[in-house]
Amino acid sequence: MGIKKFISHVKEFLSLDKSINSNKKKSIKQLLKKLKKRRVEVYKLIENASKEDKLILEEELEIISLHIKKGKDIFNNYVKLKKV
Amino acid sequence: MKNKILTSLIIILLFGSLAILNLYPNISMIFGGIALFLIGMEYMEGGFKVFSGGMLEKILKKFTSNTPKAITTGFIATSIVQSSSLISVIIIGFLSAKLITLTSAVGVIFGSNIGTTTTAWLVSSFGLKIKISAYAFPMIVMGIVIPIFFKSNTYKGIASVLIGLGVIFLGIGYMKEGFETLKEGINLAQYAMDGYSGIFVYVFVGLIATVVIQSSSATMAIIITALATNQIDYQNALALAIGANVGTTVTAILGALKSNENGKRLAVAHFIFNIITAFIAIIFIYQLADLVDYLSVFINIDKNNYTMKLALFHTIFNVMGVAVVSIFIGRLVKFLNTLFIPKGLEKGKVKYLDKSVLKLPSTSIRAIIKESKHLYRNSFDIIIQGLNLKHQNIISVMPIKEVIKYPYSKYSVDMDKLYNRNIKGIYGEIIDFISKAQVNMSKDNIELLYSFKLANKYMVEAIKDTKHLQKNLIKYSSTSNEHIKKQYNQIRIDLAELLRNINKISFLKEEDEILLMLSKVKLHTEKYDIIANGTLDNLIRKNLITNEMATSLMNDSAYAYDISTNLVKMAEIIFVHTDANIDNITKDILMNEEDINLILSKK
Repeated sequence: MGIKKFISHVKEFLSLDKSINSNKKKSIKQLLKKLKKRRVEVYKLIENASKEDKLILEEELEIISLHIKKGKDIFNNYVKLKKV
Repeated sequence: MKNKILTSLIIILLFGSLAILNLYPNISMIFGGIALFLIGMEYMEGGFKVFSGGMLEKILKKFTSNTPKAITTGFIATSIVQSSSLISVIIIGFLSAKLITLTSAVGVIFGSNIGTTTTAWLVSSFGLKIKISAYAFPMIVMGIVIPIFFKSNTYKGIASVLIGLGVIFLGIGYMKEGFETLKEGINLAQYAMDGYSGIFVYVFVGLIATVVIQSSSATMAIIITALATNQIDYQNALALAIGANVGTTVTAILGALKSNENGKRLAVAHFIFNIITAFIAIIFIYQLADLVDYLSVFINIDKNNYTMKLALFHTIFNVMGVAVVSIFIGRLVKFLNTLFIPKGLEKGKVKYLDKSVLKLPSTSIRAIIKESKHLYRNSFDIIIQGLNLKHQNIISVMPIKEVIKYPYSKYSVDMDKLYNRNIKGIYGEIIDFISKAQVNMSKDNIELLYSFKLANKYMVEAIKDTKHLQKNLIKYSSTSNEHIKKQYNQIRIDLAELLRNINKISFLKEEDEILLMLSKVKLHTEKYDIIANGTLDNLIRKNLITNEMATSLMNDSAYAYDISTNLVKMAEIIFVHTDANIDNITKDILMNEEDINLILSKK
């Protein structure tokens, strides 16, 4: 077995290439979980909020929804990469 | 400094070896062997720095939470990389970046002392029994071939380790051969000395040899090869080993001279530990030799195998030293903390950057992140003073409209003076450190460091913009024209709110909270743009302010906008990267201009 082949076997065995992507996938998954939890909390707060607070919370909700959307897109990209 | 001494020593040894080649070929061979051993150690150390790619640093950081763990980690890590100086460098870097406590660092150094004794085991068991020089060339060839095919730093590191090991094997082979042939001409054993006088003389010889060679491992290799060829007496070899242990502290002290206070404290801890250990070992040398004989039976060491017995002695007295000194580790650390306390004004000096960690990517990045946060804190103070606000009010829960009612001073602060005193030096050092550190880094890490260069630049620009804003801010905050006064107070309110929010972000730990806060701040910054929101046009149209006031307000609101965007851009970098983890994905989710426009367009 050539050195190149041997090293690629070791690399594959240790999953060096995949580990970076799987780490990122794991962190995005955790982040999405936290963001979704926060979105539920904000929804609940809006229900009983005053008019002034409602505006602030609605803005917050919009930001969180945007983060979730972006996070999902990134997550789906990693899933696609894994399938390839 | 250590590198310079080592390079000079290697050159002297090589030239010396050549000079006496014809006259004393055996001594020439020993000199050459020592030079090769030292070159190999350097290669191996350099290789591990690159090869471990932060792994070694991660392990050292993770498994040092208490003293037993720190000692074990120090032992295992040093046994693997065969270099206590590499472990010391990483630990000094961690201490400088305040990633571990001094107690843990001292624990690692203790463990590292036991770890270095594995060199003696490897040389005495593996190095002398088989012809290891036969393995040297394939290893060196592999080390040369690998970088031709693989360009990544990891493979280059592996290649360096292989070359290093191969050269070390060659060195041991040459030393062994040199001592064997030397025996035919001169018998050094005739200089053997009995009793405590012999012990003291040989401890001194071991000490001087290590100070000169700059490596206790190299001294141990010489002692073992000399002992294997019966060139020295066993009892004297034990004393030489004790001397080598003390000598290594001199190397550590020399290495720490240019280091910061943490490096110096660790060098003192190392010195105290080795002196106490040596003292105990000298007093009980005969009892320890008996203990070695006793234990040798249990681990199948032949009673005439003195090299293995020397390795066992080396390990026993270091373990004994750790056991004794560890009891007083708390007191030792307390004492160390009273040493090398920086004098004078430290605010404008770097706190976390230590040049000794430049070759350690992960530790360098951590140090840069910490130092950038230090620069942020200094910048934060200066900007607050420039806006004529009080720091304690900004970080309090006082309503923002109240905050601007309490000026910092009746007079404007000298921003240039503050910048030169508290920012310029740190900023320069960070940029210099980044430029030097990125030489050994991967593409991803270089990109990360580039973003930190930008973050620091944003801070400096925010300070410069505050300086431009300062003059009119103070002038119009007390003017009789209520309209312009209101606008300038609004600028102060907006900036005060931004500073308060950024300060909050600096303390947040959860990434979703950081994301939300950063996005809010970014969104609000866009709302401040008085040119875009029509406020300025309205004031001019209704003749509420003079032309001079209008141009001042237009320029100053642009400065305020620039301060805000610079601070937000800075925060997006330094508070998102709370660790040296390049897997961090928070930055990919941050709101961009398109997102902001999308939200603003809905309002």
